[in-house]
Amino acid sequence: MRTWLAFLILCPLAAQETPPAAAEQAASAAQPAATPVAAAPETTISGMIDVGYQWRSGVGGSLDTYRTVVNLGSGLKLMGLDVSFDSAVRRWFDHINVRGYNWGDPYNTAHVDASRHDWYNFSFDYRNIAYFNFLPSYADPTIGQGIYLDQRSFDTHRRMSDFQLDLMPGKWIVPYVAYSRDSGFGRGITDFVSDANEYPVADRPRDKTDNYRGGVRIELRKFHATLEQGGTKFKDDQDVFTSDQNLGNRTTPFFGEQLMLTNLAQTYGIRGDSIYSKVLVTADPFSWINVFGQFLYSRPNTDVKYSQFNTGQFANLDLLLLYTSEFDLVNATAKQPHTSGTFGFELRPVKRLRVIESWMTDRLHDASFAALNQQILTPAVAAQLADFNDRLVRNYSQEQVDVLFDLTPKITMRGGYRYVWGDALTRGGLISGLPTESGELRRQVGLAGMSYRAGQKLSFNIDFEGASGDQAYFRTSLQDYERARLRARYQALNSLVVSATFSVLNNQNPNPAVKYDFLSHDASVSLAWNPKGGKRMSLVGEYTRATLRSDINYIVPQIFQSAPSSYRDNAHEANAVLDLLVPGFGGYSPRLSLGGSLLITSGSRPTEYYQPLIRLTTPTHKHLSWYGEWRYYGFGEPDYFYEGFRTHMLSVGVRCTQ
Amino acid sequence: MLFLPRLLPAQTATYVGSETCQACHEDIYKAFQKNPHVAVEKSSKRGWEGRGCESCHGPGSKHAESTNAADIRNPAKLPVEEADRGCLSCHLHQPTHVGRIESGHARNQVSCVTCHAMHKSPEELVPRRRAAVNKECANCHTAVWSSFQRPYKHRLPEGAMSCVDCHNPHGSVLPRSIRTVSANEPGCLKCHGDKRGPFVFEHAPVRLEGCAACHEPHGSANPRMLTRHEVRFTCLECHANTPTTAAASKTLGGVPPAFHDLRSPQFQNCTMCHVKVHGSNVNPELLR
Repeated sequence: MRTWLAFLILCPLAAQETPPAAAEQAASAAQPAATPVAAAPETTISGMIDVGYQWRSGVGGSLDTYRTVVNLGSGLKLMGLDVSFDSAVRRWFDHINVRGYNWGDPYNTAHVDASRHDWYNFSFDYRNIAYFNFLPSYADPTIGQGIYLDQRSFDTHRRMSDFQLDLMPGKWIVPYVAYSRDSGFGRGITDFVSDANEYPVADRPRDKTDNYRGGVRIELRKFHATLEQGGTKFKDDQDVFTSDQNLGNRTTPFFGEQLMLTNLAQTYGIRGDSIYSKVLVTADPFSWINVFGQFLYSRPNTDVKYSQFNTGQFANLDLLLLYTSEFDLVNATAKQPHTSGTFGFELRPVKRLRVIESWMTDRLHDASFAALNQQILTPAVAAQLADFNDRLVRNYSQEQVDVLFDLTPKITMRGGYRYVWGDALTRGGLISGLPTESGELRRQVGLAGMSYRAGQKLSFNIDFEGASGDQAYFRTSLQDYERARLRARYQALNSLVVSATFSVLNNQNPNPAVKYDFLSHDASVSLAWNPKGGKRMSLVGEYTRATLRSDINYIVPQIFQSAPSSYRDNAHEANAVLDLLVPGFGGYSPRLSLGGSLLITSGSRPTEYYQPLIRLTTPTHKHLSWYGEWRYYGFGEPDYFYEGFRTHMLSVGVRCTQ
Repeated sequence: MLFLPRLLPAQTATYVGSETCQACHEDIYKAFQKNPHVAVEKSSKRGWEGRGCESCHGPGSKHAESTNAADIRNPAKLPVEEADRGCLSCHLHQPTHVGRIESGHARNQVSCVTCHAMHKSPEELVPRRRAAVNKECANCHTAVWSSFQRPYKHRLPEGAMSCVDCHNPHGSVLPRSIRTVSANEPGCLKCHGDKRGPFVFEHAPVRLEGCAACHEPHGSANPRMLTRHEVRFTCLECHANTPTTAAASKTLGGVPPAFHDLRSPQFQNCTMCHVKVHGSNVNPELLR
């Protein structure tokens, strides 16, 4: 409180304060010219700006796939802007940093940090991410007829903004407020589903979430608490519509009638809100123990008003009726109280031994109610009124203990045990005929690990967990599994670092009704070589071999018999950049970068994706450099040849640094 | 509170102040003036005013006399737990560290200085630019970074996202250090707000197992980052229970009705009709 009062009192003083530089200038003007003047602190501006023009050649192959995967275009771009202001006056701020990247591209960002020592830290972050997804092979039942229409496609943007203001950072008590907005909008194609047929129609998704929160952090010498209260507001106003005659995906008449859609107006009016609370605590009451805990609670609600009007020729299989127009209304609501908590401690009973114990629980109870009014207008049928109640319950708990022992100053061994248990209740499936289904989760996991660290030259780490699960929620969930990771890093020379990682996950569900067998491996090596600090040359590269094998039986719906589902993915992934100093003139030497990335996979969906790169950067002045860059994007899938694409991208630009 | 017996200089060492350090380590001293840790040097709050260097390195009188590196504490060469204890003597009581001791990084002896360069610029101390964050994480998580070279992925290589948008490297209540938003919701929902719900008709795996039940969040060769090359297998591997098999397997997920003839392309992509597969507010079958 006293700090706040001091802050409020000092604000007007700060506003009236003469900047030191100006004060000294005035003083020096009043003094004889020969009087020496002390050097005034200066406001400094530093950073860089990178402006360029990007030119894309024509796209060979599928433009839609190119836009789905890469989506870069031609034009003038602000490739990067990163400017910092350090104020000498320090009236309203000490430091401001403004950053922006890729303006002109479909993925652009902006960020502002401002701070005043002991007063505030402010940050603003903005992102605009284009989400285009139109793959001819995806959701396209008409592809056999030569119609390349992805009936689940989007051309949308997601925009996210975050503001946060911390007051009195570094003090014992730090209040803060924050606001975030996430919005999505655009257009697309989706399906309107009716009995016996579905119709690709225009879709206009629009959603927005506003998130407000505020709290206080109390950071004392032996205790910390964060108390936060927040809330969200959500709305989703998706429109699905058409006014053209649409025969849908059914190519044959249904009971002698051609089903069709001639007009559709489907409107979602979804509103949601939530309040949430967060309490985080840490404490080290004694030198041999640290304690931590969290309590998290949220209570999101949704209110739904949905309307649908459609005309055409439709079938209602429940009523065994053909009809031409329909009007539906849905009013619904859903609530989802969600509580989570953790508690744990780290105990250090003797010097080389640590015991970490933690408990966690997460409880989510979703309850909803919907009232459906379905009115078939032509022929006139009495309105069908139906009420639905639905529930989803999830109770999850976990207890874990880890014991870490420093065998030597360089070697730490770890062993532990985790027990996971929970239960779930969900809506019943159509085949079961039951209103609800329940599932249980029981898993016992053994943990082990070792880390070795020989100075800064060599380190490696092994992490293993093996589990025996009695019960899992789903057929493909983790059940009886072993997971191991190994990481090693070796600095062979001052200029050369080599690292390697290996991980494996082997998961089995031996239950005769499931027979799930999953195995994945990842092995990768990377190298960073910077002879003489990388002044003349540097090389960074990595290679990964990733394999995945999955086998499980499923039931083929039309015959209700078991069939195997096998998935394979064997990938080679590599990327590298070689950076060379090219002898130049005038004291400025160009740098040439060669590299790129490649992906080659075989298995269930063989894919090849190449992105080579050449870049030449030529300094023309101490603060100015020119660059040119060539990139190539080549993508191909043997099983879906019509989705391949290739294109060249040329960029030229200037980068100015200060 | 920062000092641990091992590798401490002899007990005769005393504090000499940062200006003494500056005499030989001018470059580090200068760079440190722009480092947020300079607050330790300039503030009386933690009791290290004028002795910022020695707050981490211990008393420096013996080292100042001998100029021998062995006569001063170097946290980078200490056992991880001891080095971290030094950092956490100030930083433990901050919200980012609440879940720290549960995190994989802490369990696997990844020390603070592995990611944070103490003496350097603020950006090197705590990388904030997305490309810098990604580079830092990719140093160890090579295979994960390679996944982002796949065609269908989150936009990390483009610089629109960073690893810490989804993961909290200091620890989280969720597996794999997944960040939480709005208290206890998975971090995925920060950007995918339209999938947040609660939905009137939920799709159970979304709540019970999260997005990774069907998606490879880092990158995939399959459209929509799905775990399988065709949508129907993603769905049918779980939706394979008749009442008999459900009783035997004790798992959730009933087989679809028999009119789904998978030989017809009309039924090969389940999400073409079940358009609200993440949860519907209107229809129990997730059709609208």
